[in-house]
Formats: sequence, C-alpha cells, structure tokens
Amino acid sequence: MTLQWTVEQGIGRLTLHQPPSNTMTMEFFRELQALMREIALLKPLKAIIISGSGRHFSSGADIDELLVSADHQTMLENYRALVLLEQLTIPVISAVRGVCLGSAFELALFSDFRICAADAVLGLPESTFNLMPGLGGIQRAAALTGKAAAIGIILRGDTFPAEDALRMGLVDAVVPKRNLQMISMAFATALPVNFVKADRVICLHKFLKPLHATI
Amino acid sequence: MNPIDNVTFEVLDEIGVICLDNPPANELVIPGFIPVAIFKEWTDSASLKGLIIKGAGKNFSAGGNLDVIFKTADHPDILQSLMRDGLELLKFIRRLEIPIVAAINRVCFGAGLEIALACHIRVASANALLAFPESNQNLMPGMGGTAMLPGFSGFSQSAKMILGGDMINAADAKELGLVDFIAPKDQAFEYALTLMQKMTHGRPVKVITSIMKALKNSSDLSQDEAMAEETKLFCSLALDEAMRRKTSEA
Repeated sequence: MTLQWTVEQGIGRLTLHQPPSNTMTMEFFRELQALMREIALLKPLKAIIISGSGRHFSSGADIDELLVSADHQTMLENYRALVLLEQLTIPVISAVRGVCLGSAFELALFSDFRICAADAVLGLPESTFNLMPGLGGIQRAAALTGKAAAIGIILRGDTFPAEDALRMGLVDAVVPKRNLQMISMAFATALPVNFVKADRVICLHKFLKPLHATI
Repeated sequence: MNPIDNVTFEVLDEIGVICLDNPPANELVIPGFIPVAIFKEWTDSASLKGLIIKGAGKNFSAGGNLDVIFKTADHPDILQSLMRDGLELLKFIRRLEIPIVAAINRVCFGAGLEIALACHIRVASANALLAFPESNQNLMPGMGGTAMLPGFSGFSQSAKMILGGDMINAADAKELGLVDFIAPKDQAFEYALTLMQKMTHGRPVKVITSIMKALKNSSDLSQDEAMAEETKLFCSLALDEAMRRKTSEA
C-alpha cells in the first residue's frame, strides 16, 4: 500500500507512505480514489489529516512513470481522486513538513486547510522539466494568490519556504516542526461537527490562530 | 502623426521589450498607443517567450494627453472610437499567451496605470508613484481602469483611489495588491528582465503558452472546463517531453 489509513478519536489519518520521499505513483492515486469512495460511505468522521510518512510530505508525482503512461484518461482519474477528496463533507487538513512539491502541493491545495512546519519547502516545479501542473494546481494557486503571483511561481518553478507560502496565501499557518502534529490534531478536534466550506476563514480565526498562539 | 512614432520595440534574447517613448513623461498621444495589428506583428514571432513594457527615460507614463481628449470631445464618435482602440489594445494585452510584465519606474498615472493593470505582472521601483488623477480634471479613467482596479484592491479602496485622485507610492501599491514586486529605485526594468529570464529561460515556448492558457482559463471557464483543459494541456506536454527523452537516449 502506498498510503496508510487509520482512525484515531474520530479523526482520519491519511499518510502518504512511499519512503523516502513518498512519491505519488499511479498506484497511489488509485488507492486514494478507492479510499475516498469508501470514506464517503463511512460513519461520519470529524476531520481528516493528511501527512507524509517520515521527514517529508511528498516530492510529488513519479515523473518517469508519468511520462510513460500519462494519457488524458489517467490524468482525469488522478484528478478525480482529488475532487472526491475535496467533495467530502468532512474537513480535510494537510499537515506539511519537509518537501511538498508538484502533485503533492496540488493535493494540499485541494484540502480545506494547510498547516506547515517551519521547515516545509513547497513549489510547483513542473515547468523546470518542461511540464506544467496538471491536477488543478494552476487553477487553485491562481484562486488563492492571484494570477500574477501564480504566473511567477509556476513559470519560475522554484521552491519556496513555508513562510513565503504563508505570505502569498497559499498556506494557512506555519508552526514549529515539533508542534505540527499536535496543532493539526488539536485543530481537527476543535472544528465544528457541522463544518461547511464557507466557514473556512472563520474556523481559521476562531480555532487555528488561538492554538498557534498558545502552543 | 504616425502613432507608432512614440513606441519602440526590440527583442532581447527571446524577450520582447516595448518602450513608451515620448519623454519626459511618455504621455500617450492616443489611447490605442500601438495599433493591435502592429502589436500582433511584433509579438507573433514563434520564438518570443515574454514581453516587458516600460517607459523611456525616468518615468513609466503619465497617461493620456488631455489636449487630444478635450479637442476631440465635441466629436463624440471620434473620441469613442479612439477610446475603443485603446480598450481593444488592453484586451489584447490581457489575453496574450506569453507573460507580459509592466516595469514601472517613477510616474505611472491614468492610462499609464491602465496599461500596467492590463499586464500579467507589475514590477514597480521603490520610487514609483501610481495614481488615477482623472477626477482632478473632472474626468474619470476611460480605458477600463474602473473595471480593473476593484479586481486588485477591492471596491472601497478603488473608490477612494479613483475619487480621491491621489498618488500612492510603491509600498502602498503593493499593500493594495496593485503591484506584485518592488524593485530598487529606478531599477524596475532590470528587475523585470531578471524575473522574465527566470520564468522563461530554457523553457520550450509551448510550456510557457500552455501554462498561460491554463491560467487564463481559470477566469474564463467554469472550474470543470478549466480542469479538463489543464489535463489536456498537461498530457500534450508530457507526450512532447517523453519524446524528447527518448530522442536524447537514442
């Protein structure tokens, strides 16, 4: 399995598990899609936290595999996995440490909340190997940070630290590395049972900010 | 007068540079300062990867020439047609499929600011000054300024800036979202050129135009349509890159 799924105190923990950098293979996207369909039918969870196994969130798609097998149908299937994630009525939090690049950043952009450890490094580097983000990263980045900044990060393709991502509005909080899990868990627990996506910003102010300040 | 007298075009290493050249303030003699046909001719080259628009000398542009406006005002059809040309040009700039950056040193007023807002990215020097001063002359922005500004700074700040007619400095403009990057004093062009090189150097033109198309789709199409287009564009690039790798292995 390229992902691990556990439930602790009503909170689903989805872990990208393909050490060392949790590359997202076709297999991963298939498993993700299957899991999302399953979760939609489960008894209600309070929240889902996505993280990476080990030191990194994920270095993104397996480029070699992608170049051999990327047809429109496969890409649409991969995209569907992210859409199913987004359509869950359960709030989804990406807890990011280490690298979070390309498709992995796109996965985080489909979550409701993005909390980063201070050591996180993010980016959409596809253009540096003559590709482009293909799972909605362009649309999501433009919506969050505006077109001008999105053009800059996507065409340059360079990586940037969590603090820069925060300044650009691409992530919601940057916390000390050692507190990432605790804050993500506490935030997930604090979220209202009847969470709706329209309450995103209110939840950030009401729950994440105070946690950030106290822990 | 040949309207193109006041604008120059050159290509620096795959980057096209458009220069508003009517010193000292680079006033626009007519709103459509470059006929769209000529703009197309300049930018149609298949090897061009980006464009920068700047002003000659110290300033970006102080905007439209009021004498021309007031002289043509009693021929409403002529003035309207002139303004339409300007609007068409800005629309063409917005829809370009290679990135276009406005490099703003010092003065950027009125129609000058409208040009800058039509670009994809704005770099302003630390000593840049931006304004919509039209209301001081009992006028208003006429080439889309009122329509574009709220998209950057929201309704209330836009109302204040356009009704007040006051200048704002580069730092405040960045805070308001009108400007994306701040360059050192008088260095907007150099900064824009470096930024452009980082965004385009070594990238096939198709990668650049695919990304720009996908970004344009984010505001032109519904999310589902934009997404479907994005994966299509991606697959086409993946195919090219797979071929490229095969060829280099052989």
